[in-house]
Amino acid sequence: MISITDLLTDNRIPGNYFASDAYVQGDLELGLLENRRGERLLALPEMLLQGIYAGLEKETGQASRLVLYNCGRWWGKNFYARFCEELTDYYQTPMADMPMVEFIQCLEQCWVTHGWGRIKLDHSYQDRGFLVVTITNSPFIKHAPKGDQPVGFLEAGALCSFFSQLTGRELHCVQTTCESMDADSNRFVLGLPKRLEPAETMVTNLDHDAIMQQLCQS
Amino acid sequence: MHPDIEALFDDAESRYLKIEELGILNQYVDSLPERLETYRQLRNREVEIMQPVADELEAALPNVSQDNLERSLKNAILLLRYCAMAMLLNDEAFVRNRLLNWVEKAAQAYNTRPIDSILYPLLERKLGQILTPQQMGFLSPPLTLAKNALLDPASVS
Repeated sequence: MISITDLLTDNRIPGNYFASDAYVQGDLELGLLENRRGERLLALPEMLLQGIYAGLEKETGQASRLVLYNCGRWWGKNFYARFCEELTDYYQTPMADMPMVEFIQCLEQCWVTHGWGRIKLDHSYQDRGFLVVTITNSPFIKHAPKGDQPVGFLEAGALCSFFSQLTGRELHCVQTTCESMDADSNRFVLGLPKRLEPAETMVTNLDHDAIMQQLCQS
Repeated sequence: MHPDIEALFDDAESRYLKIEELGILNQYVDSLPERLETYRQLRNREVEIMQPVADELEAALPNVSQDNLERSLKNAILLLRYCAMAMLLNDEAFVRNRLLNWVEKAAQAYNTRPIDSILYPLLERKLGQILTPQQMGFLSPPLTLAKNALLDPASVS
């Protein structure tokens, strides 16, 4: 026998925490954009993003990819901690008890609300030990200098440390398709470093499906 | 707020509203007391509305696990709360932006459609008994939108 009164703990049913109109708030008088917990958000000027890329390229050349990847890792690590904290607070469920479906749904909505594009998880290679994350409309990739290989180093780093912490395993991330190279979306493959390493050299001459096929065979 | 009314305030930044624009505003303001009353009914009689729905749902689906029934019922309670707010604001977009995408995905992931297809007609019938036809008229647009998103997602997108 289901009792409606029992279903309504504290008379509250949590909904879509990251819904954009509820999540993004602000104290405009003080010049502050804030999230619904009162933490500061900011709009990143496109030109600044381009300037960071250009400055890095000029000062560090080839190494800028690694710098960006590491910046991404730093971002991902802190993003994971904050993301979990916000979800735990709002849904009043310890992270470990939160169903994966809802966790992923929150991540997708969070990504959209921050204007980072649209993120989707593809589990088709999960039984082979790989997770594919697809991001479309990435602002970080749109403004990165184009090259003959994918340029989403910031996101690759961020996804790497986000999912490393989520799974408790040290993962690596390689981008296989890139909007900067006219692909329909940016695909990132996550897996154990040893198994994923061969993909690093494949990205310049193989497409995503071929890379996945090779990775799964090894 | 209804997008037409919101647009009206934005447009009127540096001028007075036109007579026909005032008419739109007037219409909404005139409907507000009844909208508030509808909201009050839904708010105060939530358990009275949902408990019979839960009982009938359980009776109709004796083989479905309690967890799954509870998940759909919780979603329905949440949706009705959002629909109530959307009705008060006369703004379906409130439901669309805040919730639809959200419940739609959860419904897909947990495959709740077989339960929802029985739940929502029960809920609508119950609401029809509690609200007046005019009140039901205010609530129907957001409620139909929400119901369709769950039962027939293609029709909404």
